[in-house]
Amino acid sequence: MDFRLGEKELALKEEIRKFAEAELPPGWRRSTLIDGECRDFEFEIAISRKLAQRGWLVMSWPEEYGGRGASLWEQTVYEMEIAYWGIPGAWMGISGTQWVGPCLMMFGTKEQMGKYLPLIASGEKDGVWCTCYSEPNAGSDFANLQTRAVRDGDNYIIDGQKVWTSAAHRARWCWLAARTDPNAAKKHHGVSIFIVDMKNPGVTVNPILNYYGRHHFNEVFFDNVKVPAHNLVGEENKGWYLLMQALAFERRSTAPMTYGHFRRVLEELAKYAGHTEYEGRPLSQNPVVRAKLADLAIDLEVLKMFAYQIAWRISQGQIPVYESSRNKVMSDEVMRRVAVTGAELLGVYSQVDPDSEWAKLRGAIQGAYLGFPGQAIAAGTAEIEKSVIARFGLGLPKSY
Amino acid sequence: MDFSFTEEQDMLRTLARDFLTKECPKAKVRQMDKDEKGYDPQLWRRMAELGWMGLVLPDEYGGMNSSFMELVVLMEEMGRNIVPGPFFSTIALCALPLLEYGSSEQKTKYLPQIAKGEAIWAFALAESSGRYKASDVKLRAVLEGTHYVLQGYKLFVTDVHIADYILVAGRNGDGERPEDGITLFVVDASEPNVEVETIPTIGGDRQFKVSFNKVAVPEDYVLGEIGSGWDIADFVLQRAAVLKCAEMSGACRAALEMTSSYAKERVQFDRPIGSFQAIQHKLADMLIDADAVQHLLYQAAWGISIGSPSSWQIAAAKAKANEAYQRICIEAITAHGAIGYTMDHDIGLYYRRVRAAEFAAGDTDLHREVIAVELGL
Repeated sequence: MDFRLGEKELALKEEIRKFAEAELPPGWRRSTLIDGECRDFEFEIAISRKLAQRGWLVMSWPEEYGGRGASLWEQTVYEMEIAYWGIPGAWMGISGTQWVGPCLMMFGTKEQMGKYLPLIASGEKDGVWCTCYSEPNAGSDFANLQTRAVRDGDNYIIDGQKVWTSAAHRARWCWLAARTDPNAAKKHHGVSIFIVDMKNPGVTVNPILNYYGRHHFNEVFFDNVKVPAHNLVGEENKGWYLLMQALAFERRSTAPMTYGHFRRVLEELAKYAGHTEYEGRPLSQNPVVRAKLADLAIDLEVLKMFAYQIAWRISQGQIPVYESSRNKVMSDEVMRRVAVTGAELLGVYSQVDPDSEWAKLRGAIQGAYLGFPGQAIAAGTAEIEKSVIARFGLGLPKSY
Repeated sequence: MDFSFTEEQDMLRTLARDFLTKECPKAKVRQMDKDEKGYDPQLWRRMAELGWMGLVLPDEYGGMNSSFMELVVLMEEMGRNIVPGPFFSTIALCALPLLEYGSSEQKTKYLPQIAKGEAIWAFALAESSGRYKASDVKLRAVLEGTHYVLQGYKLFVTDVHIADYILVAGRNGDGERPEDGITLFVVDASEPNVEVETIPTIGGDRQFKVSFNKVAVPEDYVLGEIGSGWDIADFVLQRAAVLKCAEMSGACRAALEMTSSYAKERVQFDRPIGSFQAIQHKLADMLIDADAVQHLLYQAAWGISIGSPSSWQIAAAKAKANEAYQRICIEAITAHGAIGYTMDHDIGLYYRRVRAAEFAAGDTDLHREVIAVELGL
């Protein structure tokens, strides 16, 4: 055993700190992880471009596709640090960098790789992707998806509706799961993955505002959309396996991001407690406050170790089976606890609009409080994840 | 970064698991619960023959020269099987500080006995509050000629009824800080002025009030420097916290596996209860808890094994283990239903040991406080 970070990782941490100091406006705190998006797309893209220039945006990809063959350790540290400093631009095209790109490298054709990977690696607007999975009747029961893709000569014709599609209003490309064989014996057979140009006629994006009025996700309609057959990824009707791989990539990155972001929030809460007086002494001297913050630190430490452990499993050529789900559940739990404990600490100020001058910690707690239920649902609810853990981690019967 | 065990560590785990499954079944644990001594000398001897008592001692003292990580692996397996006896007292609480702080005469005298399984030790630190705070050390140690005379009492001293020696924290002076003026003494347990009174506990272990009535201890029975006893106590508590955490980690895993197997077998409403999500989600939470304990444990243990212990990583591991072990046991019992509440079922053996495990080397509040300081609070 050895739990030291290597020299490369330590150097990277330092470089990212300097990058954050140089590139972000003073007092920058708005995290894209919780708030959904930074609300200044041009700024976000500007940073994304710089991340690409530094060779960070897709660092774990091979050089020929714009990466630098970084290890999963570097990738994990990068995700933690980007989230810690709240650097925008890394997550906007998260579909592209985190799962579309890696899946194309595993299952895509040479042409697909040659066309899309450099675009994603560039950090430009044309490299932004969205992911069309959920439908009105396919949420946790994702295999129930009804969006159809019918072969028509050299094309597929796509018809259907997707929902909760993050960043569809920003995306140039869509990573789409559609049904190609409605008569397959099992629901999850007969599903295929397509690359769809969002500028295609027949694609309509309607915003869905979340409960605090932010526009992060959308519904997307596909009405007789013509997609070239060479945009099929992998084999027809074999998309389910690909989807599981894509979800595994997605769930892996949850823990490092959550750790980085909330470690920062915890440190700010500790500082806040130090300089906020209550009944004649700093909040930080209140034993209840000390205990609560210590508990958050412990759970964050667990999350950090979980994040590294998955990176280690993958680096050994193993496939983390239940661990991705475990890390997702733990991330959700950490988000909830930091948000709720943070709100308790802020007291009556926890209700102040995060954008207001009255907001403490530049609204980080309100952002977390408003954001965490949504984040907890994305990429699989805790209920589904726990059923997956029971099945694959403990060998209990399938229950869903 | 590397999460893997060495081949030797894996072999030790397999060997320990096979040996303890065979030699320390739950029937033995139950028998020892009622036994006067509370441990089986024959099992103790066989464990010594396997080299376990001397696992981390250098070969010059008859040890195996293994690393702290090996001891963690072994204690995880002991915790899984609830091995009754004074291993934790003797090795974690006493052999480690003897090796680190003992004079060469002391080491030559005491460590080979320990490695052979011929000497049992107990550590006497806590007093009236039952907590591990320097300010709680009030037992007086007054220098009279060439001897220190100990006067006072200690509470919740484990395994002292079978101990050959007791390592006692006494106050020989007062300084600015409560940590100043504390010294550790080696006391021969057969000393007539040492009086032992049982404190009955729920855990099946053996704990005592130990009174020292003018016990004279020669100067060369002092461990380390006069007045530097709290540094040694701190050294002990850090390592003991991690080793207790290892026991708890093994116990968590055992309780989880027991419950998971039961959920697969027990049929209600014509199907195994493990097919119900209410039970599955309980078990998933238990698995996450058990993994959490294990990861924090290994991180803390690794720090010690490379010679740079992190006090706050140790605190995080023990605090998490305290809470998770309790939670896992409670969830395990409720998942079992009424059978889990019976004397016949094994899960109760684990649950009854939760309280003692929590207080060993520091309860959750103590460790949270270490973390709060680390956070700058």
